[in-house]
Amino acid sequence: MDKFTQDLPNFRPNKAPVRKNVKEIVYYVVGIILSLIFILPILYMLATSTKGEVAYAESVGTLNMFLPDLAHLGIAFENYKNVLLGYDIWKYALNSFLYAGIVIVINILVNGLAGYVMAKLVFPGKRLLSFLIIFLIVVPVETSIIPLYSIVKIMLGLKQQMSVLGVILPASISIFNIFLFTQFFQNIPKEYEEAARIDGANTLGVFFKVIMPLSKPILATVAVFCFIGVWNDYLWPSMILPSASDGTWPLLPIQTALTTIQSIEGITTGEIMASLVITSIPIFVTYVAAQKYIVQGFGTSGLKM
Amino acid sequence: MIDTSILILGLFLLAFGGFAVYDLATAKRRREVYRVKSTVTAYLMLLPAVLLAFLFVLLPILYSLGYAFTDYYLLKPNDISFVKLENFVEIIEEISEKGMLYNAIKNTLTFVIGVVPLQIGLALLLALFVNRPCFGSKIFKVCFFAPVVISLSVTSFLWLQILAPGEGGLLNSLLGMFGIPPHDWLRDPETAMPCIIVLSAWQGCGYQMLIFLSGLSNIRKDLYEAASLDGASRWHQFWNVTWVGLRSTFVYILITVFIGACRILTQPMLMTGYMSHTVTLSYYMYNSGYTKRLVGESSAVALLMTIFIGGITLIQRRLFREK
Repeated sequence: MDKFTQDLPNFRPNKAPVRKNVKEIVYYVVGIILSLIFILPILYMLATSTKGEVAYAESVGTLNMFLPDLAHLGIAFENYKNVLLGYDIWKYALNSFLYAGIVIVINILVNGLAGYVMAKLVFPGKRLLSFLIIFLIVVPVETSIIPLYSIVKIMLGLKQQMSVLGVILPASISIFNIFLFTQFFQNIPKEYEEAARIDGANTLGVFFKVIMPLSKPILATVAVFCFIGVWNDYLWPSMILPSASDGTWPLLPIQTALTTIQSIEGITTGEIMASLVITSIPIFVTYVAAQKYIVQGFGTSGLKM
Repeated sequence: MIDTSILILGLFLLAFGGFAVYDLATAKRRREVYRVKSTVTAYLMLLPAVLLAFLFVLLPILYSLGYAFTDYYLLKPNDISFVKLENFVEIIEEISEKGMLYNAIKNTLTFVIGVVPLQIGLALLLALFVNRPCFGSKIFKVCFFAPVVISLSVTSFLWLQILAPGEGGLLNSLLGMFGIPPHDWLRDPETAMPCIIVLSAWQGCGYQMLIFLSGLSNIRKDLYEAASLDGASRWHQFWNVTWVGLRSTFVYILITVFIGACRILTQPMLMTGYMSHTVTLSYYMYNSGYTKRLVGESSAVALLMTIFIGGITLIQRRLFREK
């Protein structure tokens, strides 16, 4: 580059940099206003969860609505303690974690095995199954929740403890995950498997010792989406699980239990907000910790079309 | 019902066996070699997935097709009879009498027509807004994405407080600062659906923003340089480079947001209950199938809804197909 072009920006009177600065300022002002619109409701939720009924009533209509009540941290602590221990949220949260954990394990095992078979093995009838998989992904299935309910009820009977299976089993099968696993496994070179087979491993051994360790990214993506799905599911558990707990350990997961908690007599707005915050924390942590896998999920979800 | 399930399983196995035999018969022509051992292993490894998929995916779809033509009442599973098109006649009657189903269709259409452009438009604008390398854009991105982290039920309960009637509600108190009198947002038929549209778009658009961003990152930078060398204006650059590059991302987002919007249920269920001005199709189906236990009628509505969603999705794909 010669000297002339290098110096070119300086020939212009300061017009361009100023215009650039103005642009920058406008960008930030617009960005801050937009961001506020998006996070004010969340700030309100966080702030209110630290307040007692009096402080909340006083804050309404002022900017204090969006600011935590730092002068009375005792009340904030009290709110969270009441919700967690007094209203049993920790039990519901534990249920959610348990359901999600079991679903993740079964989901990966069942769909992973099926995906492996579809990707690597040759057997008669494979073309029919491939067609069925694509067909079931394309058809919107969600409208069949009522028949699913009647099937599960008849299958599991009316015993309360059995209804937990009604939450876990339907969530453990995902045709889309079979499709994802198939796509991923197809790209694993044959050489890896052949090496293991020469060492005397059978098909199941190859799957667990060779394929699984090579598939950590897809396993993580499936696990993360499974967790978010089970944790956030509201409707299905509310249909299938008994809501009254009468002294025994409750079976509801946390999202569904929110309805029960809302209707507790004498619950304060602060406590309601605290329960909402607690419900959101695990998903928040998941998004922060598993960003990479969630973005990968976008990449794979593009395949869906 | 158990008999029917076993019958369907038998038919399914028969069909599968038929295809397997066909595969075996044509193996030579397709130069495929089937080994007994690998076939047995494959079937055994597929068994759990096939069993679960049969019970919880295939069977519900088939049943919802079948139930639509019966008078199945959930509490009397053994007393079920074929009623031909009676359920559909009832549906047409209820729509023409402007009953609850009419409202459900009206509200669902309102929601879909409102939320799909709003959510996708917002997501695209926000993605374009944060798609520049500077420190602030990362913080803005996190802020726009934040509502996605809170689930639909938490969102519903949170906005229930925000939209609370009287002067104690957050929105009312904010508007009060400008001298606007308090309003009962969710009970007023004029404002209830718009409120639900806005809060749904608020909750969801951060997710589509991220998908748009990953689409934007796949567009080659030199295309913009080439375009600006050719003297293309910003608008032309957007239209001919960005939009073309985002086309397949857009179709994917359009279809997923559309299907999700058609299924709206949680928000009206938790925020207003079963009311004529907020009832939606999914809510109507849930109410008639689960609360009233009239599975037959519910399945008939489900069948019509599946046809509607499938049809519109096909049209969308046709319209926006890659050229």
